[in-house]
Amino acid sequence: MKIYVSGLYSGGNPQPGIGIARSVREAFPEATMVGVEYSNRVSGIHWDGFDDLWIQRPWDELDLEAYGERVTEELDAGALWISGSDLEAMWLADLLPEGHPNLLAPSMPALRRITKPAVEAASGLPVKIPTHTSTDRSDWDLHAFCRQHNWRVWLKGPYYDAARTPSWDVFEAARNALTKVWSTERLFLQAHVTGYEESVMLSAYRGELLGAVSMRKRDITAEGKTWAGDVSEVAPEFLAPLRAMVKDLNWTGGGELEMVRDAGGQLWLLEMNPRFPAWVHGATLAGHNLPGLLVERASGQRAQPAAHQSDEFTRIVLEVPVRDEFPLPPLPEPFAGAVGHSMKHPSGLTSLAKKLHKTNPELIAGSAGDDEPHDPLPAIPETFIDDIRSYDFAEVQTPQFLFMDSTASSLFRKAAERSHRLSTNGVTVASGYSIKTNPDERLIKLALNNGFYAEAISLLELHKALEVGFRPDQVILNGPGKWWPEGMMPRERMHAVFCDSVADLDRVVVAMNAGELSAAHVGVRIRTPNITSRFGIPLDSPATFRKLIEAVKRLPTDTAFGVHFHMASANVGVAQWWHLLESMLKWCRSIEKLSGRTIEILDMGGGWFPDDWHASEDGKFATAVDTVRTMLPGVREIVSEPGKAMAQPSMALAMRVLEIQEHEEDYVEAVVDASIAELPMYFFYPHRMLRQCGETGELQPIGRGKTHLMGRLCMEHDIVAANVELPEGTRAGDLLIFCDAGGYDRSMSYVFGRG
Amino acid sequence: MYLVADNARGAGEGAAASLPSDRWQDFPYSTLSHHGELCCEIAREWVIANDFAQLNGGDRTTGPRWMRAKYEWGPSVWPLHWCEAVSRKVIDCGAHSALAHEAFVARGLTAYRAQFVQRYSADATAQWRLKWGGEQASDHWLTDDVIYHEGNALLVADGVVKLWDGSAGWWLNPRQTGGYGSVASVRIFADTDQPLRWGEHRIVPNTWHQIAAPAVEPAMDEAQSSAFFKK
Repeated sequence: MKIYVSGLYSGGNPQPGIGIARSVREAFPEATMVGVEYSNRVSGIHWDGFDDLWIQRPWDELDLEAYGERVTEELDAGALWISGSDLEAMWLADLLPEGHPNLLAPSMPALRRITKPAVEAASGLPVKIPTHTSTDRSDWDLHAFCRQHNWRVWLKGPYYDAARTPSWDVFEAARNALTKVWSTERLFLQAHVTGYEESVMLSAYRGELLGAVSMRKRDITAEGKTWAGDVSEVAPEFLAPLRAMVKDLNWTGGGELEMVRDAGGQLWLLEMNPRFPAWVHGATLAGHNLPGLLVERASGQRAQPAAHQSDEFTRIVLEVPVRDEFPLPPLPEPFAGAVGHSMKHPSGLTSLAKKLHKTNPELIAGSAGDDEPHDPLPAIPETFIDDIRSYDFAEVQTPQFLFMDSTASSLFRKAAERSHRLSTNGVTVASGYSIKTNPDERLIKLALNNGFYAEAISLLELHKALEVGFRPDQVILNGPGKWWPEGMMPRERMHAVFCDSVADLDRVVVAMNAGELSAAHVGVRIRTPNITSRFGIPLDSPATFRKLIEAVKRLPTDTAFGVHFHMASANVGVAQWWHLLESMLKWCRSIEKLSGRTIEILDMGGGWFPDDWHASEDGKFATAVDTVRTMLPGVREIVSEPGKAMAQPSMALAMRVLEIQEHEEDYVEAVVDASIAELPMYFFYPHRMLRQCGETGELQPIGRGKTHLMGRLCMEHDIVAANVELPEGTRAGDLLIFCDAGGYDRSMSYVFGRG
Repeated sequence: MYLVADNARGAGEGAAASLPSDRWQDFPYSTLSHHGELCCEIAREWVIANDFAQLNGGDRTTGPRWMRAKYEWGPSVWPLHWCEAVSRKVIDCGAHSALAHEAFVARGLTAYRAQFVQRYSADATAQWRLKWGGEQASDHWLTDDVIYHEGNALLVADGVVKLWDGSAGWWLNPRQTGGYGSVASVRIFADTDQPLRWGEHRIVPNTWHQIAAPAVEPAMDEAQSSAFFKK
């Protein structure tokens, strides 16, 4: 009996070929084992258990038609083939659409039904699929997905490769890299699931489940791959639907369901691989020889019984002699001045991927199972369009920030209405406008007119609020720079002052006793542990907590006490923000208990992305208000400060195209008269963009493409947008409008390159 | 581990023990003392509030691994007060168990204190004896090759527990029944008489439960067995 086994890569992220061959050898000592590989750099070819080797040229060189004929001849001649490579299995399924009794790999219809991330075929298993979305969607939507999942997300390639993307700039870099490697933009984002990784391996022939085992990872490589594990029987509640799934798919070959078990015991399916896993021989050592069962069933020859040696396995590193007939190839020359040798995918798998998804595009991950409708263009609110149309751009000297009058008015009015709805007889809910997000007088005025407090972090900001019309008792002062500039602290009673440190608190106490500062509420800003922040009084040790308690006791007792908690939800994620709020309330309860001071005002918020704040239903906020009332019954006022959620949509940036440079392969560089000096937040979140058609005046949304918008500055990193698609006909002089530029883009913009 | 007769050696000392847990038959689990003043109350409140903060939005049944990250496992001299325990850089398994119990209960979970006897080696216990002796801490928890240890049992389903080893920052593996580091005996202090299931083990609360050693695999015949051991 002759058995071909492929997938012999044996590096840190190994393929299963060696494990398959070892297991088959134990079951059939007399079989002729042939190792198949597509690179002589793969170390597995030197394993001495192979009787022969079939080394092919890398996939990017192979004539697939001729090679397919050779493989078919071998199968027809009676040889069995066990594929240890996902992509090779796909190619074989494509080569033999009707299957072949000696091809021990799944068919194309079966492969289509296990496409990740949805893995439709696994719907009967007791598993959940982690939330995911296709990168077909607009950047605006992808950023929202990341925020909703606390930036604990993975960007995954169509077949292999995954990258953690904890921020927008990392996401963009990873997307560019994966897109280039796999020649497709069809990637997907998946929410991270915290837990322990485990797998179920199966062996099946023509829909009959021959065997299955569970494995829990017990030691993991830096790449997250199995280094040790324990093996056990598959639980009955999993086995029955697994058997049904195998039958339904008419599955042949090995397979692996990769999962995570969360702290609550729920299994989450990450993907199903159409082959045995690399740890396959670990199961054989535990008495479960699944490749042996497969060959036994396909060949009709009886396998040697599997010997149980241990329920646990681990790996060691062994040096083996190199076969004389396949001496080691030279290392590629490092690129001049570069570090290391580019060695990834020596067998040319990425080239095979490119060929395969031309013929079978449905096999590409992320292309199925995401039921939500995808619009590659971001939705532009009607008020944006109305506001932009109100400008006569013939009179606008670009680059120019555009005040979005009706948008801003609407946002402030809705926030005020929400506060009113959430208020009760016992607890007033108010809004605060963070002046630093945009000190434009029009926005401060809107805040005043809608009943907001003005939240200032310096005395200059405070006086700006007073100049616009706020009274001192409508002002909240906080931050570490509240004493700057010297001599400007108002003597009138402010609404609240929050101290950023114990030293700050002591200074406030002294100033209040001296009559140099007056506030209806004085409190502290707290810095909850486990989240990186430089603001507030830390709570990360019992000693610092004790200092806080002692400091709170020093506050004047004739002034109401309060706590201030701000954390940028856009950075930590929405769910994480709500958890932090709950955590903060628990700290508050402890502070009340230990200091003897009742908390009467809570100031919370900061850094909300506009969509998360404005689109969020009242219910979430109402629950938060109820929780506050339950946990801190002394609270009389909750000040909700949404941060940039008010300012960001309230301005846009108009710019003009200066020049368009067309390069090879549709790559375009367009130079604009704006720059990162006007869009300093470009790296942190995507902006919705419009182009005004020079002929019709129509406003056209800009999607993703191969154009880079280069700023006017002679600075290498002055790129205001990467990978966008300018509408057909765009030319020098055309107007582009970047929405969502009214927050820190506006307030942190700087004068640069203007002479 | 707070034992009144800490260094006086238990009644079972020197006697031929038939079970690994015999030596610790009457040992209570460790309890942190409280000064009855603000110092200890601040410490306790801090542990509870910090534990919730460290959950990071994750599942409430997640083990409080942050405690092991903050407090190394090592000798403690008892009695130990709350304010002392949280200000140390190193605490023993009894203190770890006490802190974890407080955290689990504050999360609204049902948790029990647990004692373990674990198998190690004479080399390991000699090292630990040296270290504990150097700190003038009791080494009552050591014998030649088994040790007394403390942890927590967390009720995760009706009658089902997981065992948390806070000193290590991991859940004990119920499938391992022999070898270095394995659990030989368990005692769970619960307010119930109903057996609690830990993996495949049914543990009667409030009494030492002996974990069975692995049975000889019947599927392995003599020839296979000898071949395996020759490898």
